[in-house]
Amino acid sequence: MALLKAPENTPVWVNENNCKACDLCVAYCPAGVLVMVPEPKTILGTMVKVVYPDSCIGCQDCELECPDFAIMVADRKEYKFSKLSEEAKERAEAIKKNHFMAREEDLAVLSA
Amino acid sequence: MAREVISSGNELAALAAIDAGCKFFGGYPITPSSEVAHELSVLLPRVGGKFIQMEDEIGGICVALGASMSGVKSMTNTSGPGMSLKAEQIGLGFIAEVPLVITNVMRGGPSTGLPTRVQQGDINQSKSPTHGDYKSITFCAGNLSECYTEVVRAFNVAEELMTPVIVLLDETIGHMVGKAVLPDLEEVKANLVERAKPDPNVPKNEFLPYDVPEDKPAVIPPFFQGYHFHITGLHHGPTGFPTEDAVLCQNLIERLHRKINSRRKDLLDSYEEYLLDDAEYLVLCYGSVSLAAREAIDRLRAEGKKIGMFRPITLWPSPEEKIAELAQRFPADKILMPELNMGQYIDEVERIMKQRPVSLNKANGRPISPAEIIAKLKEMGI
Amino acid sequence: MAFNYDQYLRTDKMPTLWCWGCGDGIILKALIRAIDKLGWSMDDVCVVSGIGCSGRFSSYLDCNTVHTTHGRTVAYATGIKLANPDKHVIVVAGDGDGLAIGGNHTIHGCRRNIDINFILINNFIYGLTNSQVSPTTPKGMWAVTTQYGNVDPTFDACELAKGAGATFIARESVTDARKLEKMFIKGFEHRGFSFFDVFSNCHVNLGRKNKMGEAIQNQEWIDSITMPLKKWEKLSDEEKKAYFPTGILYHDDSQMEYCDAYDLVIEAAQNKKKVDIPIEVKSR
Repeated sequence: MALLKAPENTPVWVNENNCKACDLCVAYCPAGVLVMVPEPKTILGTMVKVVYPDSCIGCQDCELECPDFAIMVADRKEYKFSKLSEEAKERAEAIKKNHFMAREEDLAVLSA
Repeated sequence: MAREVISSGNELAALAAIDAGCKFFGGYPITPSSEVAHELSVLLPRVGGKFIQMEDEIGGICVALGASMSGVKSMTNTSGPGMSLKAEQIGLGFIAEVPLVITNVMRGGPSTGLPTRVQQGDINQSKSPTHGDYKSITFCAGNLSECYTEVVRAFNVAEELMTPVIVLLDETIGHMVGKAVLPDLEEVKANLVERAKPDPNVPKNEFLPYDVPEDKPAVIPPFFQGYHFHITGLHHGPTGFPTEDAVLCQNLIERLHRKINSRRKDLLDSYEEYLLDDAEYLVLCYGSVSLAAREAIDRLRAEGKKIGMFRPITLWPSPEEKIAELAQRFPADKILMPELNMGQYIDEVERIMKQRPVSLNKANGRPISPAEIIAKLKEMGI
Repeated sequence: MAFNYDQYLRTDKMPTLWCWGCGDGIILKALIRAIDKLGWSMDDVCVVSGIGCSGRFSSYLDCNTVHTTHGRTVAYATGIKLANPDKHVIVVAGDGDGLAIGGNHTIHGCRRNIDINFILINNFIYGLTNSQVSPTTPKGMWAVTTQYGNVDPTFDACELAKGAGATFIARESVTDARKLEKMFIKGFEHRGFSFFDVFSNCHVNLGRKNKMGEAIQNQEWIDSITMPLKKWEKLSDEEKKAYFPTGILYHDDSQMEYCDAYDLVIEAAQNKKKVDIPIEVKSR
């Protein structure tokens, strides 16, 4: 398999140069790890952020469904991913209901 | 040693392809050209080549272009309606610089026209076979031997200049059976042109197929050899990838013209002069009409008339210098241009000579006879 | 470590020219992962595309790539494959490219059973030229050329491929990239014409006037019209009409591949005999 070196101790990461902010990764993430945040410099005015990396279950759905080679997930052998928690599931639903955009609490986590 | 064969023009065109190293043919049946395909379906597999009859005329040229761009000498064959259908793909051959030999055995047109009868109706079409701006190369066989030699030459020129080359036959010459003298096979093989290869000193991942001087053809290596280049019908720069850059787009089209214009004299110009030395009258014709013209000239010579013939073999780009020279020797009213159309090449001759020769036109599917040419010349005062 | 797509991509062409959320990129990624799993060298792969958004597909992959004219992909690819029978040829075409203007070549590629992997990116619309109706646009939908609603019946591309004689026929959609990858692996391994009908989203040109203007909305609609084959088979004939079955729909390894068949012609020609094939009035 063609391999890419992962950043240290990181379950999921974004290449913002490739991201077109289509929301698909956020829509596919079952664990509410990702959110869209306002970003005036991009064409659609948003950018994806990894806000809850500790919740990532390593399912790779975000990576596989990303049309733009913009989001990568670490190898299961090298990173110990979480199990899917109820809290994460609920958060994922809430973010989707919020049109994939960061809620106030997500922004607070981001700026912390 | 020169070879003597009894054959038809269409069959000779097929034999020429084999001798020129053609290993791939794609086409679609169409009268009066199909015998070229019939013959190649027999000959190609014998030399390990591939023959495929496609689902339509368009597929016929696409499959041949596909094989050619991947590194194999290829050919397609058709007649007028098929040329019209192939038009868009010929354009891809021009812009992407894919060598291909296209034989067009002309029949009566437009549209379905006169499928089993002769016309030289596709002269203008072969100058501009597709939309856009480019330079087209067209040879026209005037006798059985040339059905062979011009197809061989077309393969060599296509590979040298990386472009489709059209060879015009017509129904008369394609279906005519007779004796033809062909050049020595070893000599043909010794003079074959093979496609230019990339500079081996350039690393494969740095190779750019269209990064060539302003008057040179692209260098397209065979596929699957580690050169990961891109071929497109879009305007492209030296890298081969699509671009809309104003300078790169202009450079590309200028180069497509220059790579051909710069080789007119040493590679492309080709013509026959017959009894011109002391001639006072001139018959300027091409293709199968020249057979009748030659007979007419021989009969008039027997009567002591001073008449000769000039016959361009490369129609496009035209042998301009030579035609201009003839304009110095012959006044327009002593030049006859018989054509099996309503006057297509005469426009080009007039452009060069700055005077319009006398025309003799026929577009009803019947050949022009020697008697008709003689009658016209007598009208002109010979 | 993570999967390194860059090894297969022309990285200087990234990001792609496709719209945000375009399914084409998901297919590109699944294709790369399939090639990687199969262990193919990119020196042995040629990707041929036509005109339309899918036409750009070839320019992103780092191998011999050809961007042909509208509808002619299979014909060009046939020449490349027949001239290089031991190499891998992948065709990518859209629903307009492969089923409308290029329908004839698609039919006959299937019929010859030449070893070409034909990926039909089926997004139910002409995208690049801005929302004209395609042979797969659902009846009743809006397109810029059917502004009162589309009345043209639609096409089931897999049924066409089957009737024409393709020997591997599968359908998946961009909404399940894993299945997509698995389907490509199976089909790429098959020696013969492999036909992949890949449902993809064009939320921009199909979606915006048909109430699915976001990528995920358009993908949810795709999910609503597809069903795995095993489940679909259990439906009544009436219920079946509402869904396209997905998965491997047809796989026949018993038919001779075209390049192999042509080798018999070469052998016959060189030994001055006829090909030893019984006359078959009905091939399949």
